[in-house]
Amino acid sequence: MNTTDLSTVGAGFSDLAIGSQAVFRAALEALSHPGRIVDLPHDAAVPAHGHAASAALLLALLDPDCKLWLSPSLATSDAAAWLRFHCGCVIVEDPSQAQFAWIAGDDEAPALDRFAQGSDTYPDQSATCVVDVPSLADGADVEGWTLRGPGIRTQTRLCVDGLPQERARKLIAQRAAQQAAFPRGVDLFLATEHQIVGLPRTTRIELEA
Amino acid sequence: MFHAFDNHPPADRPPARAQWMATLARAPLSLLEPALGEHATCAPQWLRAPETGLMMVQGRAGGTGERFNLGEVTVTRCALRLSGVAHEDAAVGVAYVLGRSHRHAQLAAVADALLQDPARQDALDAQLLAPLRQHLARERVQRQARAQGSKVEFFTVAREAGGADGDEEESE
Repeated sequence: MNTTDLSTVGAGFSDLAIGSQAVFRAALEALSHPGRIVDLPHDAAVPAHGHAASAALLLALLDPDCKLWLSPSLATSDAAAWLRFHCGCVIVEDPSQAQFAWIAGDDEAPALDRFAQGSDTYPDQSATCVVDVPSLADGADVEGWTLRGPGIRTQTRLCVDGLPQERARKLIAQRAAQQAAFPRGVDLFLATEHQIVGLPRTTRIELEA
Repeated sequence: MFHAFDNHPPADRPPARAQWMATLARAPLSLLEPALGEHATCAPQWLRAPETGLMMVQGRAGGTGERFNLGEVTVTRCALRLSGVAHEDAAVGVAYVLGRSHRHAQLAAVADALLQDPARQDALDAQLLAPLRQHLARERVQRQARAQGSKVEFFTVAREAGGADGDEEESE
């Protein structure tokens, strides 16, 4: 039995029900309007490592039945202890076992097909990945990603600032490769310090130069 | 009540803490409340507000047999930091107590947090833990005395020699 040092662990939501419902509501809005940037209000004392919005999102979504995969720098930080203490979730080493994954900005992300994809009968048994990105901007005039799919009237633009071109290209290529396997796939959240964007598996992303 | 722990305590945690947490968990509120004084009335910074749930208790037949699930007990737990202490070096008090008393869990956690401060430990040990230990010992003696009153000596009447049918094991 390994014990965690509680002295570095911060508090969770001050009101568990209201705090997690507010975050859940934001996550719902983000997934039902892919590409829309949604504010994520919360009052949790989030860990120093990783983005605050990602931490609050996972705090609201996880419970003791969930398996979580953390990218290497998060797994060794106070974020792991914080989520384990408040959610009771299980932290796994193998990405394919996880239902949720949190990937810090500087870490090398494993390929999306290494996460659980679900099956044709149970597409819900797939992973949800939360990826920390430096900043997000939307609007018609920004250069960046073009999103199409359910929840978007024609198309929408999303600019993910600070994400290295190479990484963005890889992420979008992996998403495109998954499209053929629908309904299997992985749902994505991009998170800055205070905002999230939902990119469910149905959203098609094109990268504009 | 079990006083011995199934597993050896980990080396990095002082065994004393496990002992005082066990003492505090069994302490009656009427003793905890006055002994903690002003700390009992301060609002703590909750890390985990008191919550009541069920916990599976496991037992071993004879202390050596396979583990089996004995049954569920109601447990209230909480974790807190004392207010007015800087975030970095504030000790975290944790309590798991039997029953549904949120107040009991809170006070036990406050006492646990205070006891982790080496400067306060000796004073609190004399002021809080010693009376608690005495109280628990007294309760234990009383319970044993009550049980002693209903003690029955079982004895077996020796069969007369030249046995009847049931004696096969003995004769072989």
